[in-house]
Formats: sequence, structure tokens, C-alpha cells
Amino acid sequence: MTCEQLNPLYEEYALGVLEGAERSEVEAHLARACDKCVPGVARARWVVSQLAHAAPEAQPPAALRGKIMEAVKSTAEDAPPVASFEKPKSPRTSPVFPVWAWAAAAALALITGYAMHRMNNQYDQLAQLRKEMKLAIAQNQALQNQIDMERMVNSVMMSPDSMPLKLMPTKDKGMPMVHAYLHPHMGVAITADQMPSMPSARTLQLWFVPKSGKPMSVAIFRPDPMGQIALVAPVNMPQNEIAALAVTEEPAGGSPQPTSAIAWMAQVN
Amino acid sequence: MLLAVVQPWPEGKQPTDAALMERILQRDSGALEALYDRYGRPVYSLVLRISQQPASAEEIVQDVFLQLWRSADRFQISRGPLEPWLFTMARNRALDFLRLKREKQRRREDSDSDILPSAVVNPDPEGDIDRSRRAEQVRALMTSLPAAQRRAIELAFFEGMSHSEIAESTGEALGTVKSWIRGGLLRLKQSLGEASS
Repeated sequence: MTCEQLNPLYEEYALGVLEGAERSEVEAHLARACDKCVPGVARARWVVSQLAHAAPEAQPPAALRGKIMEAVKSTAEDAPPVASFEKPKSPRTSPVFPVWAWAAAAALALITGYAMHRMNNQYDQLAQLRKEMKLAIAQNQALQNQIDMERMVNSVMMSPDSMPLKLMPTKDKGMPMVHAYLHPHMGVAITADQMPSMPSARTLQLWFVPKSGKPMSVAIFRPDPMGQIALVAPVNMPQNEIAALAVTEEPAGGSPQPTSAIAWMAQVN
Repeated sequence: MLLAVVQPWPEGKQPTDAALMERILQRDSGALEALYDRYGRPVYSLVLRISQQPASAEEIVQDVFLQLWRSADRFQISRGPLEPWLFTMARNRALDFLRLKREKQRRREDSDSDILPSAVVNPDPEGDIDRSRRAEQVRALMTSLPAAQRRAIELAFFEGMSHSEIAESTGEALGTVKSWIRGGLLRLKQSLGEASS
């Protein structure tokens, strides 16, 4: 923040109500002996100090004066007179701040700068850690989903009630075969290996082809980066009405009805 | 015991704060007595308002004036008037006491060295403006503020609370508290500016 932006905050800083970044900003300017903020805050301290007059007037105990003077006298015996105020002895003006004050201010500025640097680094590290954590959670979730799916696929595949089907490539005979396991209640499991990668704008879509009527969409899927497919989709048609299972290539998001020729197909007996 | 022998003040002429501080540097305890007579009451009133305990207030005021005696060489009148230095030191001491009492771990806002007057032209370098008139000005201003706004400023000054602590204490929105305090301080500044002009 600039000195002009900090100017309205001087009194609040002197009052001690500022927090967080605003307070740090003012302190940073003071630490580097800012020629606008240092006198600005000094004047603000004078203004704020006048709030002392808002305290209800109270009379100090009469004995207090004597106590103070007694304490002073006991210290006065040991203490020699201290140096007098420095009066200007030549036209050359004395520095406003003594050397130690500059050194202290410089040290404070260094410490503040270092602390802010450390803090920024820590914020960055924290942000990076959060990002990594989010990614790890997402990866973990994806892995868990995959494990769950594979368990379901295995369950359908291993069930004695499942009907195994082989969906053969119809267009390109060099394409791998797709396996399907049709279970009356658990759904249809689809597995395949060594599937070719697909453009992102395209997807594969599984259809139930009924004995009469239009094909019914069952699932949309894509091979994973390893070229594998493993999924289970619900059976939304009585099994005895299914004449065939077919897979077509469709635009991403799928289609209500097939828009391309069947790429894989298996007859259901 | 031997204290410095100093010249008596010319009759009918009040010594300035600077002159008294100069004499304190010469170990003239009479100068400290004169400063106590001048500022003892407002300093005690301030400290009592913060600490709320007469016995503690007495100790704090004693500590403040002893500090003035011991650290007189750190005060340079050319940098500004004595009064704000004294008030700020008293307030800090009393707030420290209050914080200790509340067992609050909070960083002290200002060290004593921080509050040394800086090279700035202050509106009242040596009592040109009558102190009692200025005190009345401040009291009148505080009285004229709406109760909630006055309360917010009092919590800040006399109890050392921050913006968010005041918001929490009063149940008001943080933005409202900030606005009250900023507005109140601006009016105080303007009022004191007028008083000094």
C-alpha cells in the first residue's frame, strides 16, 4: 500500500485497533523510516493520546506524590546526572534519529522483510500442499471408484446367472473383442482390452437391440489410457426381449439413437 | 543523599515541560514534582479508567513517573510535546496490566521507544493551547457521539481492543465498528485541529 492509502489508517494504528495486513503495512512503512508515515503516525499518536481526557476525572491519593518522590530519591543517590538535551551548536542540524534508532529501524525492516518473505513462502507452500492434497483426494476417489467398478464387474462375471456374450467387431476385424456378461438383476458388465484410443469428441455407446422396436441406450464409455474397458450398467429391459447388444461410436455425450454403423455386436439367444 | 542544586523558578512564571525535563536531567526532583502536579491527575484518571482498580492505578502511575525520571534522556522536547508521550506510556502500562489480568496473550502495541515523539510539528508544542480547554473539547466530542460509537472508541482506547474484538464484544458487524471508529477519530482530529488553530 502507498503512503496515501495508509494515511487514513494512522489514527486507527495509533489507537491499536488495526489488525492483519493493514497493521503490517503501516508497520512496514514505519520500519523503513518512511518520511510520510513516521510523522503521520506521530501526529496520530498525539491525537489519540488526547482521548485520555475522556476518562472520568479522578483525584489521585494524596500519598501518591510522596511515594513517587521517595522512590525517586532512593534512585537519585546512585544515579549521576544524565546528559542534557542536545542544543544545536552550529547551523548543522542534528539528525532526527540517533544512529541506534536507524540501526534498530534497519534491523526491524530486515526482520519484517524476512518475516513477510517467510510468510509468503509459507502461504505458497500451503497453497501448493492444498492443491496436491486435492489432487491426491481426487486420485484416491478415482482409484476407489475403479476398484468398486472392478468388484462389480467381477461379481457379474462370476455369477452363474450371467450370460456371457462376445461382441465381435463388425467393421474392422482387427479390433479387439468386447466381452459382455448379462445378468438379469445386477446389470450388464462390459470388459475389453487393447482398445484403440479415441478422439475426445467421440465416445462409445452400448445399446440393447430389442426384438422389436428401436435400440435402447445402455451406457456411454471410453477406453482408459491403458486401452481397457470395465463397467457395469443396469439392465433397463427384460432380458428375454433383448435380441442383441451393439456398440456404436457416437459424438461425446452420446446420442438418443445410433448415428453410425454398429462397430461391435453380439446376438442374445 | 545529594540532589542537584538548581535555581528556583522565577516567580509567577510557569516552567515549560521542556524546562522541567531539562532540570530532571540535572537530577532535580523538584522538576518531577512539578510535572506530577501538572499531569498526575489526568494520568491517574486515565490509568484508573483502564485498570478499574485504585491500588493498581496508584502503582502504575508511580511506575510511569519513575520511568519519566529514569528515561528523561530519551525524551527530546524538540521532537514534540511531553503530554502525548506521558499519556501513551501510561495507557500502555495500564493496558498491559489489564491484559495480564485477563491472561490475554496479546502483543503489546507499542514499546516505550516506539512512542518517543517524532520530528513533527504538533499543534500544541508547549501548552500554547490551554490543556483544560483541550480536555473539554475531547469530552464534548465524546458526549456528542452516538452511544454505540462512543462505546466502540472507549473499548479501543480504554480496553485495548482491536476492531474484531470490539465487533465480537458488541455484536456489531466488523464493517460497522470500523466505520464508527474511523469516523469518531476523524471528528476528534478535526476538533483538535480546530482547537489548535
